[in-house]
Amino acid sequence: MRLILLILVPMCLCSCKKEVNLNLDNAGPHIVIQGEITDAAGPYMVKINQSVSFKSENTFPAVSGASIKISDNEGHTDSLTESSPGVYITHSLQGKPGNTYTMTVKVLDSLYTAASTMPFPVNFDSITFRETGAFGNKNIRAVPNYQDPPGIKNYYLFNEYVNGLLQTNDIFVFDDRLSDGKYITRDLRTTDETMHEGDSLEVQMYCIDEPIFNYFNQLDESGGGGGAFNAAASPANPVSNISNGALGYFSAHTLRWARTKVHIE
Amino acid sequence: MMVSAQARHVVSGTIRDRQSGETLIGASVMLIEVRYATVVSNSYGFYSISAVPGRYTLVVSFSGYTSDSIALDLAKDTSISITLDAGSRQLQEAVVTAGRNNNVTKPLMGVQKLSISEIKDLPVLFGEKDILKTLQLLPGVQSAGDGNSGFFVRGGNTDQNLILLDEATVYNPSHLLGFFSTFNSDAIKDVTLYKGATPAEYGGRLSSVLDVKMNDGNNKEFHASGGIGLISSRLNIEGPIEKDKSSFIVSARRTYADVFLKLSKDSSTNQNSLYFYDINAKANIRVGAKDHIYFSGYFGKDNLGFGNTFGIDYGNVTGTLRWNHIFNSRLFSNTSLIYSKYNYDIRINSGNNNIGITSYIKDLHFKEDMQYYANSNNKMNFGIDVIDHTTSPGVISASETSSFNPLHLQDKHALESSAYFSHDLSLSSRLSINYGLRATTFTIMGPGDFYTYDKDGNAVDTASYAGGKIVKNYFNLEPRFSTSYKLTGSSSVKLAYTRTTQNLHLLSNSTSANPTDVWIPSSNNVKPELADQVSAGYYRNFHENQYELSSEFYYRDLKNQIDYKNGAQLIANENVESQVVFGKGRAYGWELFFKKRYGKFNGWVSYTLSRTERQFSEINNGSYFPANQDRTHNLSIVGIYKAGRKWTFSADFTYYSGNAVTWPSGKYEVNGQIAFLYSQRNTYRMPAYHRLDVGATLQGKKTKKFDSNWNFSIYNLYGRENPYSITFEQDPDNPSRTRALQYALFRWVPSVTYNFKF
Repeated sequence: MRLILLILVPMCLCSCKKEVNLNLDNAGPHIVIQGEITDAAGPYMVKINQSVSFKSENTFPAVSGASIKISDNEGHTDSLTESSPGVYITHSLQGKPGNTYTMTVKVLDSLYTAASTMPFPVNFDSITFRETGAFGNKNIRAVPNYQDPPGIKNYYLFNEYVNGLLQTNDIFVFDDRLSDGKYITRDLRTTDETMHEGDSLEVQMYCIDEPIFNYFNQLDESGGGGGAFNAAASPANPVSNISNGALGYFSAHTLRWARTKVHIE
Repeated sequence: MMVSAQARHVVSGTIRDRQSGETLIGASVMLIEVRYATVVSNSYGFYSISAVPGRYTLVVSFSGYTSDSIALDLAKDTSISITLDAGSRQLQEAVVTAGRNNNVTKPLMGVQKLSISEIKDLPVLFGEKDILKTLQLLPGVQSAGDGNSGFFVRGGNTDQNLILLDEATVYNPSHLLGFFSTFNSDAIKDVTLYKGATPAEYGGRLSSVLDVKMNDGNNKEFHASGGIGLISSRLNIEGPIEKDKSSFIVSARRTYADVFLKLSKDSSTNQNSLYFYDINAKANIRVGAKDHIYFSGYFGKDNLGFGNTFGIDYGNVTGTLRWNHIFNSRLFSNTSLIYSKYNYDIRINSGNNNIGITSYIKDLHFKEDMQYYANSNNKMNFGIDVIDHTTSPGVISASETSSFNPLHLQDKHALESSAYFSHDLSLSSRLSINYGLRATTFTIMGPGDFYTYDKDGNAVDTASYAGGKIVKNYFNLEPRFSTSYKLTGSSSVKLAYTRTTQNLHLLSNSTSANPTDVWIPSSNNVKPELADQVSAGYYRNFHENQYELSSEFYYRDLKNQIDYKNGAQLIANENVESQVVFGKGRAYGWELFFKKRYGKFNGWVSYTLSRTERQFSEINNGSYFPANQDRTHNLSIVGIYKAGRKWTFSADFTYYSGNAVTWPSGKYEVNGQIAFLYSQRNTYRMPAYHRLDVGATLQGKKTKKFDSNWNFSIYNLYGRENPYSITFEQDPDNPSRTRALQYALFRWVPSVTYNFKF
């Protein structure tokens, strides 16, 4: 889709983009749970919100009063407390690569459970930059540099913070299905221009497990990232690792980062 | 039938254009003294008709040609080759026009023929004449999108159309991501679309057969013709090799949209490439009175490139070698050796990431078709068909410094063997039937590893087969039946039942044709797709066959339909079969077609009311849902007016209901990003599509030596913004809200083309 537009825009005498008002249904509020455990120091956070209708503002009602427990396979269990509306934090738990974490959430008379296994970390060597562009759209992209460990399946998720702001237009998830054991220099492809020379950039690298990779990969294809032309022919909700029909995910992942100023070599 | 005991004699021969020597396909031949003795010339212009001894008048007619009649004293088997003059004079006798009602009398249903002259007069996008886009104006045929040459027939997917160019399968019928078809109309003689009630000699796809036949080339004199347009130019050269015996034709065209890119000062624009070219070539030679050899080939290539960072080229190659042999005046044979290949080649250079990805599908095909003309009411077709399919799903080459590993997915081998028989029979002056049977075996061959998957798509078992070993066989019988019953001399009702199977499946996870879509053969996991279609119709011609009316109902049941899982990884995936789900489908509808066939003003109205649904246990809780291409109403109105010698005006109007689409029914936040909440697949509708195009052709001074015309057109005259896609995003100007964006592609696209012939 993106390719088609890229080609057609200069080819056609007129290619028109406009905002339209559609009569979209409201599926009603759905529970959205986002939980993360990392190998950095705690506390770790679980957020519970509700979905809203398409036409509403982008403020998502917090869900308070949940009872949440996270336990690991070494026998530790942590009961989370609500630090602010809809935000729940751990107290004693320390994430450790190789451990499997189980989350149970009781809220609004429903029980949701999820499990995630924290992969072993991969060193994040550096960030470099690459300038790309076609048809007048110059674009600087960040390139994380790291060695993929051979012989095991690895899944990565990257977050970009430009001048301290999380970039929310694109989802960056990689697997090593076609690149096992290689030194990886794949660029983080952005739909639009997100950074300029001299900006400060932090890139976070998560090593995630397979269900979380699938979740974000599907989210990317469902147009969830807002990227206009990632859309599949028939988008659908990504398959969550949380039971009972909750939206969102529960991920145990390692966290590494690199910081630099945006520059072109 | 008192005369049936008497010996019959045969008149047979070939029907040709008098000026060019081109054979005429589908011309009617009748003996007017025999009430229902009408035959139609076959794909090579051959006819054979028989009667008891006596004096007869043989009448030959063909659309766009002046009919001819020949007095005949039939005392023995006779060979008469007939030539017709192009250009239709006003028809005088009712008997002559009687040959023009085959649409009413023959049992074949759901057939649409396009004449190349109709295609040439109609306005099209960028002035590039296109048989596939003209087909979309016919009932039961839907466009895959604005300006797109892809099409859906009676609820089938685009990969369920068998598209043949001189018998060779064309795996990717489009150029430039679907906006142009691979068919250069200069090179085309005949276009026939079978919408499901397919004769037994065709097989391999569920939904339709588009049989495109190339010109043979003028065997009398040399000619060159061509056209210069805004976006492409064409050149066509033909002539005799040895007069009346052999001829050749070469047609080529190239687009030059990229020339405009080169004019740009911006280096990110002028380093891009964007073009396609294609070449059709054909030669034929007559050897004695009974043999004729044809060689035809097609070569097309698309090239898209963004600077030196990304490039893809792709295209089809086909070659057909054919030998016609007339065993005797009743038995006609054609033997074909056919080659077809589609491949793509992607190059990515990004920093030190140098990657190439290639994939292809290749057929070697042997085909033997026989036609036996027992008598004028009684014709049999039979033959065999063997195709060796090889698919290379993906080969990745990668430099040492690249982030990717080289990978060579296993080639897949399969043998598709079929035998068929069909019988055309007139039981009385009113009742005709055609029944037939096609038997197909699809044999999946080693070498290769074949996986078994669990419910989550993990490979749980692998079976390795050596080269030449049979992995699995699928055997299917495909009965075909159609019948027509004449109500009056100019009206009839028809009924048909057809079963079709399909063993090659296109995996595509986008709405439009992608050059990188992968064909996969049936396997231990993927079962053959099956379709059963029942159709019934009423046909009527008015006013000495000047007007044609048809109304057809169809119901189609589809089994083993394929969809992909959410987030499916289709590129270079060894386990691609674990990424698909299987279900069923149904499609039904009513088609109405009214056409004025002759005269200064001609054209047609076509309307389709239809429903197309699919059912997968994984989607929408297992209930039927509308397929993407489900459009309730489809209307086309086409008019061509010849205003004297100089000007021809044309217009077409298209209206269709919006496609079924999946849109959000809410939103939520994940990882700081706005995510959309979907409830059910395809419960929303795109806005309706409509468009009016107009065209005019100015004929230059016509001499014996030189002929030229100017063709002007405006696509989407009233500039409707037909949505090509609607997407959803967070508003960049106001992050607290989301918005729906509509993209429209083509408004008021004018074009001008200069055509010449000498």
